[in-house]
Amino acid sequence: MGSRLSLSLRGIRHRRGPREVLAIDGLDIAAGERLAVLGPNGAGKTTLLRLMAGLEAPSAGVVEIDGVPTAPGGAALRRRVGYATQQAGLLSTTVRRNVELPLRWRGVAGGARRAAALAALRRLGVVHLADRPALSLSGGEAQRVSLARALALDPRLLLLDEPAAGLDAEARRSFLDDIAALLADRAMTVVHVSHRADEALLLADRVAVLVDGALHQLAGPSRVLRDPCDATVARLVGYDNVIPGRIDRDGELLVAGRPCGIRSDRPPGDVTVAAWATAVRLAPPRDGSFEATAEHVCVGPGRWEVVLTGEQTVRAHLPLAGAPPQPGDRYAVRLDPELTTLISG
Amino acid sequence: MDAVHEVLGRSALVSLSATAIALLIGVPLGTWLALARVRGRRLLATFVNTGMAIPTVVVGLVVALLLWRSGPLGDLELIYTLRGMIVAQVLIATPLIAGITMAGLQALPPELPDQLRSLGANRRQLVIRLWLEARVPLLAAAMAGFGHAISEVGAATIVGGNIHGQTQVMTTSIVEQVGRGEFGEALVYAGVLLALAFTINALLTSVQQRAASWARG
Repeated sequence: MGSRLSLSLRGIRHRRGPREVLAIDGLDIAAGERLAVLGPNGAGKTTLLRLMAGLEAPSAGVVEIDGVPTAPGGAALRRRVGYATQQAGLLSTTVRRNVELPLRWRGVAGGARRAAALAALRRLGVVHLADRPALSLSGGEAQRVSLARALALDPRLLLLDEPAAGLDAEARRSFLDDIAALLADRAMTVVHVSHRADEALLLADRVAVLVDGALHQLAGPSRVLRDPCDATVARLVGYDNVIPGRIDRDGELLVAGRPCGIRSDRPPGDVTVAAWATAVRLAPPRDGSFEATAEHVCVGPGRWEVVLTGEQTVRAHLPLAGAPPQPGDRYAVRLDPELTTLISG
Repeated sequence: MDAVHEVLGRSALVSLSATAIALLIGVPLGTWLALARVRGRRLLATFVNTGMAIPTVVVGLVVALLLWRSGPLGDLELIYTLRGMIVAQVLIATPLIAGITMAGLQALPPELPDQLRSLGANRRQLVIRLWLEARVPLLAAAMAGFGHAISEVGAATIVGGNIHGQTQVMTTSIVEQVGRGEFGEALVYAGVLLALAFTINALLTSVQQRAASWARG
């Protein structure tokens, strides 16, 4: 038996009362793979992790670990799995005892337990907090201790449920960088769920996009970013502009019935246009092109952030070095084809 | 008339025994009510909460009818005995302890049981950890149970009979003295009873508050 677990879900249907909250026909996670599950709030991400962790049994279907169907409720299964939840869930004892407790439950002797707990706290940069009451920690410290507690168990499958939720931007970034560095050194299968694309993509070999309990797309991070399968996925991965368009017989992309500077070899018909805000170029109005009026202009990190309204609302990020558009001014809107994706239908 | 220390000893014996037994029943019952997801749980929780408000004299009456020599449990010969009084006080304190235990455990973060399971806790380890997390309300439950038991007079009078040298306790003794117009002696007994309640509650409060302030850091 290897040091990592493979995981398979087959014909999963899960209900909460009359509502079906999860419907996954098949999902295979190879031993050692890092899978990110990306989805909006209420998509069923946490429910999926709970099924994987054996905390709940699916209403129908089977979860297999290393090819063996799991028996929900069994402590033996859970002891091979590390699960760091959204809430740190620390107990009202010292930080060190929080990390030691699950080791004690596994029968690890006192000296080894203490050494493992301190090593895990050191890896997460919080060993100096070992003797502090855990409930007195800040949110960021608590999440680090919670992850140290999961990693101290040396799990073969690590489940991370939005571990950086609730942290401010700086703490979040630093925490996620530390997780990425830690996981790079370790041989374990990881499933990480998040509603934030940047967080999910950072840790993933593959990304599963979950919406309303169903898998919309399962692909590598760059594929999901460059080629989202539908408008929902495009919005989830962060495209600022997801708007309807049409390819005409000449291969010209039309937005609101007017050209926007992109040609395509796709067959004529309706498409969804997914464009980053940095893809938007503004020019003086000219006859026939797609136009919009600058509605709101504000300064952002290294850029002007502009909202333009017309037949479609468009968000643009323009270089800070240039003069900002003036609210009320009308512009021709062009899209950079390198930063724009067309989705069928 | 019994010496005050004899009556005090009897009061302490009956109430502490009743509280200990009520804790053994009430804490697991309250835990089950807080954690179980079965039909009828809410109805039982309502019964327990109602039990917290039942007048002790009503409990005394029911227990006396059950323990009466011609009653269904008459063969046990518990009427007018300290053991019979303990039975009555257990019935008085148990709903209080179960209700506070249930509320204390339900006040913990709702995701905590699953978090402990996900860390590998089996059922016994889970319950013990939850009790430790809820130690402040659990100590409050013990104090409330003891306070209810030591201060009640209705059940003690009906079930114990206030027999001198056998079942007279502090509260029944005070009632008897007031009935005889011996207010001075009644006040002394009341002061001693208060001192006993204060001592035991001070001990429990000290443990409780130390636990609470430590957890906050």
